[in-house]
Amino acid sequence: MSDATLAARTPLDAYGRTIGTVTLAEVAGLALVSAAVPHDGDEAFAAALADGFGAVRPASGDSATGARPATRVLGMQPDQVFILFEAPDPDQAVPTAAAALGSAAYVTDQSDSWAVLRMSGTGVRVALERICPLDLDDLAFPEGRVARTVMEHLAVMILRDGPDSFLLMSPRSSARSFRHAVELSVENVSGP
Amino acid sequence: MIIDHPLLGPRDAAEFVYLGDASLIDRPDWQDEDAARQFHDYLHVRDNPAGEHRELWFHEHGDRSWLVVTRNTLTHEIIRVELARDVALSLGRGR
Repeated sequence: MSDATLAARTPLDAYGRTIGTVTLAEVAGLALVSAAVPHDGDEAFAAALADGFGAVRPASGDSATGARPATRVLGMQPDQVFILFEAPDPDQAVPTAAAALGSAAYVTDQSDSWAVLRMSGTGVRVALERICPLDLDDLAFPEGRVARTVMEHLAVMILRDGPDSFLLMSPRSSARSFRHAVELSVENVSGP
Repeated sequence: MIIDHPLLGPRDAAEFVYLGDASLIDRPDWQDEDAARQFHDYLHVRDNPAGEHRELWFHEHGDRSWLVVTRNTLTHEIIRVELARDVALSLGRGR
């Protein structure tokens, strides 16, 4: 038997770069699962989310923090949330979430499917408003708001996790194109 | 064009996919006596109004909901946006 071992690679190869006042950094290693709510199971799901993750179920477009480390429940659509959390081993994302939620949700692993990029620093919105079709004003998109949208023809989930900080998630298969689009937008507003 | 989503607020039309006439949610009962006739009409017969038109839009790059959008085909003014789920429930459907 061969003794070769495989090394795990992250979607953006641990990318990180500061351009002007904006910092781009890959966020890797977090567990991400989708939790779909069974028909007529809203009450049971809200209770399970409170018990298992210490989080209030967010409405579509909102997010909630929870008791586990780095937990963020993202309200993506009427019958589904995404749950971002720290798992001891990301391969255990689904067993961990399934144990926490029981039969109150259908849980699917999303951890390795998305490239996660944090974009932060003053002027972050100036760079984002050139590629993001959403209104990111403090009144329209305050801290904690989340949305699925499209940037440069690529699907993106965007979460505002600080006054000048956004978490962007885009499919892993087009992660490099996505990084290029975001990087270029920051360069375009950062002067010569 | 901006579609004012009932749950999420105004969103760019680029996030949506257009399907067609809103009557598509009223699929005929296949066990009816004249089911063949009904399905013929359901599939092929459409009004082509110059004015208000009710149509189905899917929020693909968004919350994946189906919407019934009432739009003026002459001016592109969007008069009303409803969740297709609510429209189906109001017609007496179970879900």
